[in-house]
Amino acid sequence: MDWETNPQFFTYINLIFSSIGTTLILSITSFGLATIVALILSFIEVFSSRPFSKLVEWYGRILRGIPLILALFIFYYGLPRIGFPLPPIYSAIMGIAIVDSAYQEQLFRGAIEAVGEKQLEAAYAIGLTRWGVFRYVVFPQAFRIALPGWINEFSIVLKDSSIAYAIGVVEMFTQAIHIAQVIADYLKPLLIISIIYLGICYPLSYISNRFHRKLMEMGMVGG
Amino acid sequence: MDGDILVVEDLWKFYGREAVLRDVNFSVRRNETKVIIGPSGSGKSTLLRCINLLVKPDRGRIILDGDIVTEKKRDIHNIRSQIGFVFQHFNLFNHLTAIDNVLLGLTKVKRLPREEALRKAKEALLSVGITEDLWRKYPAQLSGGQQQRVAIARAIAMDPKIILFDEPTSALDPELIWEVLNVMEKLSRGGMTMIVVTHELGFAMKVAHEVIFMDGGTIIEKGPPDQILMHPKNERVRRFMERMIYLYSLNNQFKV
Repeated sequence: MDWETNPQFFTYINLIFSSIGTTLILSITSFGLATIVALILSFIEVFSSRPFSKLVEWYGRILRGIPLILALFIFYYGLPRIGFPLPPIYSAIMGIAIVDSAYQEQLFRGAIEAVGEKQLEAAYAIGLTRWGVFRYVVFPQAFRIALPGWINEFSIVLKDSSIAYAIGVVEMFTQAIHIAQVIADYLKPLLIISIIYLGICYPLSYISNRFHRKLMEMGMVGG
Repeated sequence: MDGDILVVEDLWKFYGREAVLRDVNFSVRRNETKVIIGPSGSGKSTLLRCINLLVKPDRGRIILDGDIVTEKKRDIHNIRSQIGFVFQHFNLFNHLTAIDNVLLGLTKVKRLPREEALRKAKEALLSVGITEDLWRKYPAQLSGGQQQRVAIARAIAMDPKIILFDEPTSALDPELIWEVLNVMEKLSRGGMTMIVVTHELGFAMKVAHEVIFMDGGTIIEKGPPDQILMHPKNERVRRFMERMIYLYSLNNQFKV
């Protein structure tokens, strides 16, 4: 079957485009949740006492040690067993969020720790309290340091969201597969969604690089 | 004791079992400029950091303007806000512009109203020769000499009782050293109380009221600059000075 001559070409294209929304909702929601959790966890790891920071360390170690698809399956197939059935999209959001929170926690912790000792010394020397040092020096600098990596992390989540296919969430990748099966041609639908994924990720990576270069110019990261 | 703004008594600091400061005693009078010299690792930097409590001394007393700052329960943040500190590597907040670097302490530590803080910041920046065109620049856009002068302005603006300088010119290109020393000399002549750790013997000779020579964590000899630099009594100091004088060809300089 040839798309160019196929009268249903636009129907298929429209189906793919209409599923972009689901992909975006899935990735933005899980990414946002992951960010909130990761922020809290990174503050705990850096600023709290040893037992708590150890706990966070193990949270990260375990979640970074399992395949993403496993997390999704645990939420989708596992939770109903203990009486909490979750619809596929929620299972996907939870699974991606919880695993990604472990990666983002590392990113944020690294950014906080990357604020130089000299900056802290100067902040204390003018008389700022521990909170003041955090509020006016550590946080604003760590925020800038984390930004490029955080943007890249969203690209990763966006692409990883395609794994929701495995539990039947009809997002962009699933839609493309469905169409491929109907028209018995995998290449074209998959190429089209590749371009869409790339079309979102490329500008993000461009922005991320700009921020990174800015940081280097300001002497806030290595180089 | 009258006129002493800072008194350091029997100060000790240990790192592990090694004493980096051993029984350090001295006092600084109001308006005095004291220069501390000595070889690397002699405890000069640690001494300065103990005075503003960035490093906690293990024994001894530090009295700032009648306040015993080493006592427990003292508000160390308040004490630090009364002591200026100028670092070897400038340590400007690199996410803030020059003027915001000066403003941070004024607005967030001293909690001055915006207008007054701004007036003070501008005044301080101008006094170190940082003109308006540089106020909105970030540290990375400034030369080392300009950065260090902004750092000095950051200290001055807080109206400190004393400013501590930790090798303020050691990280600068030779040509930029002059502009920083010049600002410090002006500050000293204007009556600012300061302790300066430095290897700039010309500065010590010209500006210091007293020079302290430290080695092995303790004060070996102190006295007027020409005594310590030209006619030291102590053998260790003499050896050090001979080398320094060779290094900087100080003989010629001092005859002028």
